[in-house]
Amino acid sequence: MRVLVVEDDQNLNRQIKEALTEAGYAVDVAFDGEEGHFLGDTEPYDAVVLDIGLPQMDGLSVLEEWRRAGKSMPVLLLTARDRWSDKVQGIDAGADDYVAKPFHMEEILARIRALVRRAAGHASNEITAGSVRLDVKAGKVTVDGQSVKLTSHELRLLSYLMHHKGKVVSRTELTEHLYDQDFDRDSNTIEVFVGRLRKKLPEECIQTVRGLGYQILED
Amino acid sequence: MASATKSLKIDQAILRLRGAAVAPFLTGSIAARLFWLSAGWLIVALVATAFLLTELYSHALDTSLSQTLDFHLETLISHILDTGDPASPDIFIPDPRFSRSASGWYWVITDDAGQAINLSPSLTGSVLPIITVPFNADKYRTAAMTDEFGIRMRMVEREVTVKGKTFHIIVTGSLDEIFRLVGDFRGQTLIVLGAVGVMLAIMSFIVARIALRPIDKLGQAIEHVREGESSSITGSFPPEIAPLAEEVNELLRSNAQIIERARNQVGNLAHGLKTPLAVLRNEATGNKTRLGEVVLSETDKMTTMVSGYLDKARIAARTAVVGRKADPTIVMLRLSRVMQKINPNRTVTFGRPDASLPWFRGEEGDLEEMAGNLLDNACKWSKTQVAVSMMAERNESATMLLIRIEDDGPGLTEQEADKVLQRGVRLDEKTPGSGLGLDIVKELVDVYGGTLQLKRSSLGGLLAELRLPSARLGRG
Repeated sequence: MRVLVVEDDQNLNRQIKEALTEAGYAVDVAFDGEEGHFLGDTEPYDAVVLDIGLPQMDGLSVLEEWRRAGKSMPVLLLTARDRWSDKVQGIDAGADDYVAKPFHMEEILARIRALVRRAAGHASNEITAGSVRLDVKAGKVTVDGQSVKLTSHELRLLSYLMHHKGKVVSRTELTEHLYDQDFDRDSNTIEVFVGRLRKKLPEECIQTVRGLGYQILED
Repeated sequence: MASATKSLKIDQAILRLRGAAVAPFLTGSIAARLFWLSAGWLIVALVATAFLLTELYSHALDTSLSQTLDFHLETLISHILDTGDPASPDIFIPDPRFSRSASGWYWVITDDAGQAINLSPSLTGSVLPIITVPFNADKYRTAAMTDEFGIRMRMVEREVTVKGKTFHIIVTGSLDEIFRLVGDFRGQTLIVLGAVGVMLAIMSFIVARIALRPIDKLGQAIEHVREGESSSITGSFPPEIAPLAEEVNELLRSNAQIIERARNQVGNLAHGLKTPLAVLRNEATGNKTRLGEVVLSETDKMTTMVSGYLDKARIAARTAVVGRKADPTIVMLRLSRVMQKINPNRTVTFGRPDASLPWFRGEEGDLEEMAGNLLDNACKWSKTQVAVSMMAERNESATMLLIRIEDDGPGLTEQEADKVLQRGVRLDEKTPGSGLGLDIVKELVDVYGGTLQLKRSSLGGLLAELRLPSARLGRG
């Protein structure tokens, strides 16, 4: 899952990025409205953390521009202005949720998790496919109740496929959503990780659709 | 503080204006001043008029009497010339008053030595006083004298020469009759002018009331503003008090601007402080050293204080707001829509109220703040359902706006509800915002003189009943 963080405070930006990275997301950052708007407009993100008070272009304008251009990724607003009129304005501009500053970092993680899950159409924090069960909140995977140890890259790959189970996901899409901007993208690495995952999980779990990509089948 | 003083001044002005309308005879009131001024002027003018009229009338009567006496004098002279003998008994004036003794009507012809040689029957046995005024060029003189009976009279005297002999002819007429007529006239004049005076006094009273009516109207307009039915003074006023109305409107506008500015500054301060606080807190979280723990606990304290004081500042800034009201249906629809979007797993139902629902008397943002926090809590604790409904509730003194927000969550026991309603108490420290949100709700409810009750909902969870003052429907 790839997340964009737009926040002008350097420290806060770094903290959110670290927390999200630690939780297994690929994170891009922007420090002003224009940069944030450009990234959101050109890169495929699974969620965005957007501050309202930004230099050059305020958060609400950025959000309105994205929605006008048909970008539908879930957006979590960060706001110091916690009046209800500000919240209403934010939601009406197209935000999916808001968090008032100062916040607990777990709050941001929980909201982002919920937004990503909701966007993929899952109601609970647990996603299952056959005997494989993914706990999104804890970042744990079990097969037939037995815990399976995965590296963070393997977990990211599996998590994305589980969130989009039933859908064929291309290698390009996977690269775009699993790595941040600065990552040296090489589609061969995807094949390597799929191979490793197949060894740890039941073999039929991840299907290869020739010429198109990979797929985890619906139950 | 400045705005509070201003509103106090407005209140006093209203009291003063109302005083003028209720008791116009109070010393110092404009109506009383107008009335007494015009009444005083009227009394002076009417008394002067009565005096002048009487004088003119009296003078006219005296002149007329003099002319009559002159005529009689001429008659006597022509009789003397006719008979050739001033002592002739054929000399007479055909007026019965000259026959009645002590009538004040006399005539006498004297010789050069002053001996009476002929006189009217009325003068028989008495003597006329001598006129002290000297003769004029026509050998004529006149004066007001008193006879020996005490009757005041007008005397005219002429010196004539007949056949070389000089005679003095004196004719008198009673002035008492004239004085009687003048006295009667004065009485009638006073009655008529008194009636005119009373009518004019009533007129001036009515005129004062009519003239002051716009001030009464202005007082009512200010009262409407204070009661929140309109945000400024409207209506047309005469040019004398239009500037006053304009000044009051200007005051209201500047009041609103001051509040708006204060609010913006509060918002800027919030934004400025909250980001660094968030940074400090996040940096300290997970840092197990003593420094980390201290920073964490102190930033928590600072966060609570900043939020608490910012809320207080916002509330203090809005107590002086006058003339605001908001449509609760629009506000609750908006909040329900937002909460539904944020919580797609819950169903937020909004029972649309009937059209006669009164408006909230106060700031729209404050209604959002109260209802929004309650709705937020309801969504946070509910399993699947949140319901919002509104109605008007009439009690003995006023109509209150009742907003009910309920959920199907765990709810609160009576003891828990009591505890939550106390200031600053948070039931679950781990659910962020649950304490602070309710704090601002409670403070705002206090500011507006409303009530907040927490009960058990028929849905199984909490029912929050918010009662707020209402404004008359749809005006302004």
